[in-house]
Amino acid sequence: MSSRTRRSLALFTLMLGAASGYARGEVYQEPDTFIAEVFGSKPAPKVLWLTKDTQAQVGAILGHAPAQLRQRYWSEGGKSVWILEETGKEELITAGFVVVDGRIDHVRVLVYRESRGQEVRQSSFLKQFKDAKLVRDNRLDRDVDGIVGATLSVGAMERMARLALFFERLSHDNPAG
Amino acid sequence: MKKSTLALALAAAFGGMPAFSQTVDQKLQILQQEIDDLKAQTRQQAVLPQQASPYSLDYSSMLDRSSGLANGGTNIVGYGEVGYSKFRQSGNATADLQRFVFGFNHRFDERLTLHSEVEFEHAVVSADDHGEAEIEQAWVNYKMSDAVNFKGGLFLIPLGILNETHEPPTYYGVQRNQVETRVIPTTWRELGVGMHGILGEGIRYDVGVTTTFDSGKLDDPTTGIRSAHQEGQLANARNLAVYGALNYRRPGLLVGGGVFTGDTGQNGASNPALQGVAARFTMWDVHAQYRVAGLDLQALYTAGTLGDADKITAATVAANLADPSVTAFAAPKSMKGWYAQAAYHVYKQGNFDVAPFVRYERIAIRQAEDPGNDLFQDPNNNERIKTLGVNFWVHPQVVLKADIQRYATDKSQDRFDIGAGFMF
Repeated sequence: MSSRTRRSLALFTLMLGAASGYARGEVYQEPDTFIAEVFGSKPAPKVLWLTKDTQAQVGAILGHAPAQLRQRYWSEGGKSVWILEETGKEELITAGFVVVDGRIDHVRVLVYRESRGQEVRQSSFLKQFKDAKLVRDNRLDRDVDGIVGATLSVGAMERMARLALFFERLSHDNPAG
Repeated sequence: MKKSTLALALAAAFGGMPAFSQTVDQKLQILQQEIDDLKAQTRQQAVLPQQASPYSLDYSSMLDRSSGLANGGTNIVGYGEVGYSKFRQSGNATADLQRFVFGFNHRFDERLTLHSEVEFEHAVVSADDHGEAEIEQAWVNYKMSDAVNFKGGLFLIPLGILNETHEPPTYYGVQRNQVETRVIPTTWRELGVGMHGILGEGIRYDVGVTTTFDSGKLDDPTTGIRSAHQEGQLANARNLAVYGALNYRRPGLLVGGGVFTGDTGQNGASNPALQGVAARFTMWDVHAQYRVAGLDLQALYTAGTLGDADKITAATVAANLADPSVTAFAAPKSMKGWYAQAAYHVYKQGNFDVAPFVRYERIAIRQAEDPGNDLFQDPNNNERIKTLGVNFWVHPQVVLKADIQRYATDKSQDRFDIGAGFMF
C-alpha cells in the first residue's frame, strides 16, 4: 500500500470517526422529554376514543384511514400535547403539538427519519403554525409556506397540525375515558 | 381463559372511570375493531416481518403504519405525467404518457437506507418504439447525522432546481423548462460517491466524485452536453468528475447554486480520435425561489463550457469518414441559459389550488464550427421561449396543467399543451 493510499485511508477513517461522534441525528427529542418540558413533569396520559364517524373525519384530514382507534394525549390546565406521526415522502415523521384553547401553541419535530427534507424541523418553518386554528372542513386558518424539495414532508406536518387541533376539539366534546 | 382475559381487560378499561359521553357500546365496537385490525396485522406480519416504530406503539398515533419504514421495511413511491401537445405551425398533435416512475425505498437499519427509481418513458419500450426504460436512481445512504450522510450508487447531480425535484406537481407547465432540459441535462444522474447534509438552519451541502460525460458519445449538438450522458450504462470512467452544491432553504425561500467539473475525453474509448484529449466539461448554476403572499417567483442562471470542442468536432468528422452513417456536427463549446418565472395563486379552496404563470427562457449554445467541412452553428441553439399557462392542483399531489409556448427561433415548436401529473 502506497503512502498516499494510507494517508487517504487514514483521512477517511478520521472523517468517519468524527462523524460518528454526532448524535444519531434522527431523534431530536424523546417524546417523554417533550411532554415533561411542556408540563414541568409528565402528567398521566388520557385516551381519546374514535368512533366510526370520527374515524371518517380523521381519514378526511389524513387522506388515509387511521390505523389506531384510540389516541393517547396529555393535558393539564387547558394545555394539551399530542404526539403524532405521519409519513413524509418515505418515512414517518414524529412531531409533538401543544394546543391551547383550540390554537397551536408550538410544534416540535421529535424524530425525522429521511435523509432529505429535515428543513421541516427548523424554527422558521414551525413558527408558521403558531396560533393556527381550524376553520371550515377542518383546515388551518392559514397557508403554510412550503420548502423546496420537502413538499411531502411539509404536507405531512400540515396534516398532523390539523389532526392535533381536531383531536383537541374532540377531547373537549368527549372528555377522556 | 380467553373470556376471563377479555373480562379483565374490559374491567381495566372501564373500571373506576369518571363520567364520560362516549357510551360503553361505542367503546366495545372500537375495541372489537381494534382486535380485528390486530388480527389482520398479525397475519400480515407473518408474511412480511416488519417492526413498527416504537413511537407508533407507545403513542397510539393515527398513521397508516404500513406506509412507514421501520427497520427491514420497504415502501413504494412514484410519479408520472401525461400530456397533449398541439403544434401551431404544422397543425399536428401528439398525446403521450411522458413518464411513469416508481421507486422502492428500503431501510436496512437505523442508519442505512436504499433509494431507487425506475422510469418508463413514452409508454411502450421496444426496439421499434420511442419508449425508454431506465434506472433513474439507485443509491444507498448511510446517515451519521443530519449533518453527515454518505451515499453511493447512481444518484442525481444537485445542479439547478429541476434535476433533483422534478415530480410534476412541483413545477409549472406541461413541459419541463427548456433551460433545465437542454442546458442542464435533467434528469442528470451519475454513478459515484458523495457526502451531504444540513448545517445550521437550512444550509444543505452536497459534494462528491462521480462518473462524467463521454464526449465521444455526443450525437446531438442541439441539447448541449446531454447526448454525451452515460447514465450508469457501462459508463466509460477513465475520467471522473467532482461536484459541489450549496442550498439555503427556509419556508418559501430557496437560494443556491452548484458546480460540476471533469474531463470527458475518456481517452477515446468511444471515439479513437479523442485519445489524449481532455475535453474538460464544467457547468455551474445559481438559482432562487421565493414565495410571498400567493406569488411564486423563480429564476435560474446556468453556464457551461466544453474544452477541446474543436477537437470533438474533428472527431465527429473522422467518425463520419470511417462510417458515413455517423453524422458529423459542430460540437458544443459553451452553453448557457436563464429563465425567470412568476405565478400567482388566484384561487385556493380545500385541496383546490389554481395558479396561472408566465415564464421567459433564454438558451444560447455555441458550437465549434468547422467551415472547411460545412459544419456550422445550428440557429435553433439560440432560442427564446415564452410560456403562459396555468396549474390547477386538485390535490397537493395531483395537478392538471395547460399552457401555450412560443419559440422565437424554432417556430415549429410553438404549441398548446394540456397535461396532468401526480406523485405519491
